[in-house]
Amino acid sequence: MTTSRVTAGARVNEVAAAWGPTAGRMLLGLVLAWFGYHELVQPVLWTGYVPAVNSTSDAAVVLVLAHGWLLLVLAVALVAGIATRAAAGLAVLLLAQIVIWLTATAGLSDLTLRDAGVLGLALCIAGSTEQRLTLAS
Amino acid sequence: MKSRAGVVGPRGLTLLAVTAIAGLVLAIHGWAQHSAGGPLGSLSGSSTPARRPAGTAPSGSVPAASAPSYGPSASTPTAGPPVRPRTPASSPGPPLTSQPFATYAFVIWPGTPTSAAQAALTGLSVRVRQEGTGLSVTASVNGQPAGTAHFYPGGEHVYVVEASMGDDSGSSDYNLGDDGLVVTDTQGRIVS
Repeated sequence: MTTSRVTAGARVNEVAAAWGPTAGRMLLGLVLAWFGYHELVQPVLWTGYVPAVNSTSDAAVVLVLAHGWLLLVLAVALVAGIATRAAAGLAVLLLAQIVIWLTATAGLSDLTLRDAGVLGLALCIAGSTEQRLTLAS
Repeated sequence: MKSRAGVVGPRGLTLLAVTAIAGLVLAIHGWAQHSAGGPLGSLSGSSTPARRPAGTAPSGSVPAASAPSYGPSASTPTAGPPVRPRTPASSPGPPLTSQPFATYAFVIWPGTPTSAAQAALTGLSVRVRQEGTGLSVTASVNGQPAGTAHFYPGGEHVYVVEASMGDDSGSSDYNLGDDGLVVTDTQGRIVS
């Protein structure tokens, strides 16, 4: 009984260690895909996030579209496992900019801290050397 | 092609290229939507998100008397009736309770808004005034010019719709796409 519990626990640890980074990578990709898609199809809803640019200007819309495009490409790279560390590293830069800007403009809030958590996930993926289900060819 | 940052093969490059092209197509679509006027209603007078400097009073501050002023106001096509200038009474619309956004609607008039309604009003400013048998509603996004008043004949209740509080941070509402304003009559039917 005790032996089987130990074995089961070890097995869970093993699976978590093997698949955790992959699951995190996929989920981070889904997050980026969701935001990227919506920024692309409805950019005017997101111009409020653009720093230092009038949110009613065309420039803000263009920046949102560019941001959404980059998020979408990064999302596919992460989900498909294409240059995952580089993609996650770029995501770290994007998310760090968002967290810093939100903190500077609105202070610490639930929104900021939530993005900080996603930033942490991206950092973990960027530092992970073991990934499964990657498109390496 | 292999590097310390990961591996990129022909298939990966192809997939990324296809994604990039698809993203460009979506961006063109998004730009066209933007040029066409955007998806938001006209309550805010603008389709831009609401922002206010941190530390300012919440938009839910309500002047006393008969002209209470609350926080939000921007409508999505699904969140409420289109805003129209003062017009003769028209037939009421469907009951608010029959709408999919009913669960996200918070009453702001009459009476004092609940804390949830105050939160839903973040970034927006709504002024409601009783005029005869209807309500005159002025809504705008904080930090932007006030909108024009719109008269809702037979209006009895005013609701703010906020599908997700997750886009509200501090005193700012960064995404007005899920915000709206709804006026109903005594029967709870949407007034248009």
